[in-house]
Amino acid sequence: MSRLALPLIAVVLVAAVLGVQVAAGGGRYVPLRPANPCTPLRVSPVPAQLEPLAEQIVLLGLDRAACRLGISRERLVLALAETRTPDPRESAALKAGLIDAVDLLDSQGRLPKVSQLLPQALDQANLPGIAKTIIEAIPDSVVDNLLPTAPLLRRTVDELDINRLLHELNDPHQLNSALQSAILRAAESQILGRLHP
Amino acid sequence: MGRGSHLMGTDRSDQPASPLTGRTTTVVVLSLGVAVVLGDAGVVTLALPEILRDFGAQVWGVAWVLIAFNLVLALVAVPAARLCVRGDPAVATASGVIAFAAATTVCAVAPSLGVLIAARAAQAAGGALVIVGSLELLVATTGVERAGVRRWAAAGVAGAALGPVIGGLLTSAFSWRAIFVAQIPIVLLVLPAAITLHGQVVQRRPPTLDTSPDRPHLLANLALALLSAALTAALFLLVLLLVDGWSRSPVVAALAVTAVPVAALAAGPVFRGMRAGTRSEAVAGSVLIAGGLTGLALLPGADLVWTLAPQVLIGLGLGLSVDSLTAAALRDRIPRALHGGWTIAARHAGVVVGLAILTPIFTADLRHAQTPAEEAIARLVLDAPLPASTKLDLAEQLGRRLSAESGRVPDLRPAFESLRVPVTQAHAVAALERGLEDQLKRAATRAFRTSFLVAAGLALLALGPALLLRDRSRS
Repeated sequence: MSRLALPLIAVVLVAAVLGVQVAAGGGRYVPLRPANPCTPLRVSPVPAQLEPLAEQIVLLGLDRAACRLGISRERLVLALAETRTPDPRESAALKAGLIDAVDLLDSQGRLPKVSQLLPQALDQANLPGIAKTIIEAIPDSVVDNLLPTAPLLRRTVDELDINRLLHELNDPHQLNSALQSAILRAAESQILGRLHP
Repeated sequence: MGRGSHLMGTDRSDQPASPLTGRTTTVVVLSLGVAVVLGDAGVVTLALPEILRDFGAQVWGVAWVLIAFNLVLALVAVPAARLCVRGDPAVATASGVIAFAAATTVCAVAPSLGVLIAARAAQAAGGALVIVGSLELLVATTGVERAGVRRWAAAGVAGAALGPVIGGLLTSAFSWRAIFVAQIPIVLLVLPAAITLHGQVVQRRPPTLDTSPDRPHLLANLALALLSAALTAALFLLVLLLVDGWSRSPVVAALAVTAVPVAALAAGPVFRGMRAGTRSEAVAGSVLIAGGLTGLALLPGADLVWTLAPQVLIGLGLGLSVDSLTAAALRDRIPRALHGGWTIAARHAGVVVGLAILTPIFTADLRHAQTPAEEAIARLVLDAPLPASTKLDLAEQLGRRLSAESGRVPDLRPAFESLRVPVTQAHAVAALERGLEDQLKRAATRAFRTSFLVAAGLALLALGPALLLRDRSRS
């Protein structure tokens, strides 16, 4: 038998195995890569509830902030989780990213009206019963006229203390309290702005 | 003793040399001894994590349990062969058996890592005498040089290929110390065989022939060294990938890597009938080993099934090339034991070089794999269909696991076990856990890719000397 036969058989066997492996995805079996944060995202409908709305804004905001910083969303999250103290550039990018997210949802008509969120917000708010009753009595049209959602959320973002929020991520009560006080301050400022233009 | 009275291994003839009588058992026992000693080169591979835990040592320190044996065997094989040439190979073999058994006993009861490493070095020194002495005894017992050399080489291949498997099974069933306990009675079986052969190994070298030693067969030994370096990856890195990267138990890993020895043992019966010749066998073996290692670098998933075909290629290559190159290195060279020593030195120097080249590559790659793995985990958690509060809880737990096991593939299960979620979220949490485990396996598999490719490159380098070999058909 030719002396080439055995090496040729070896080459054929190797080619067959490698061919099957490459066809089955060999070489592409790698970890999921971070998505480009600057790619425009398709925004899915947001339920008229506080937590899903907040999560949507945060996720979109992280993308926009990461895009502004020139890193991936995942790298930004991991960096924030590690230090818990963003530098001024990161803080500014996070705030700007959250406002971009509100603008994006607003431009696509995805933001619920404040009147739709109010019952849940009142349930969670630490207000006296009489105050809740009075607020509930206000007609939805008045609420929505006084507090349009997008401006309220932009003011809320302005009011947020990013450093404090990051430090309280593991304490749901403190986190809620910080968010509520930011929302209340934003609402108060917006109402006063409407009453005293 | 003088060369005139003891010229062991100087028979250049392939003709039967009046085989010593009643020898089947002796051949089996001597082959077992060679297999046990050469199996020791990788027998502790799967036991390393347990040894690390027992002694509370560092990874680099534990790696010396493996390195010390191979390094000393590489350094001592040729001097041991010279001792064997100057004396009676039966005496050398018996002395080696006693030293090996004593050192193995110390390994089995070693109270510290330092003692274990020192005993492993002593094991290699005794083992070297057993191996080179057994070569002469096997040739004398079978009565035909080629038959004796082939049995000796085949026993070495079987031992090297089966070592990690048997070591893994013994570690799982008992403890790493059982690996050494089990070796002692087997290797002691060689002692009566060696004593029986004392003074019976006669030399038939014609007095007219030059009795100065031949030079070592550079090409065959170089190819053996390069292939052994490459095979280190197959047997050492694959086991690490299965156990540390894919979180398989040592038993499963041991059973999974049996494909290599099975294919190695099958290579002879499958291909030897072709009578392809030394060069063709060495070239084909190098191609198969390089191809199998490339296959391990290009795994399409973390399923054990995907490792089987590459392992079969490596096993067939191992069975074809090591056997063939060893025969080429010994053919027509005197003294035979000395050239046997050179092949052992080349192979184990190759193992040490392979470990020295590949270990830093794969440990660095494993460290570098951390970032993409963390990013993939962050992406899956962020995009999971779970409430933000659940994601925050989980992220906290995962962060702890990742920082606690920095530099190693983390076990994320505790993070999920401590997570309390409503039943409605259980399905999404379970899917996320599966997704994260898949990402870790992807990252670990990717981390081993470069090492396997470098090892494949070493096997391809062996093609150079293999192609330059003089081709001779084998009987």
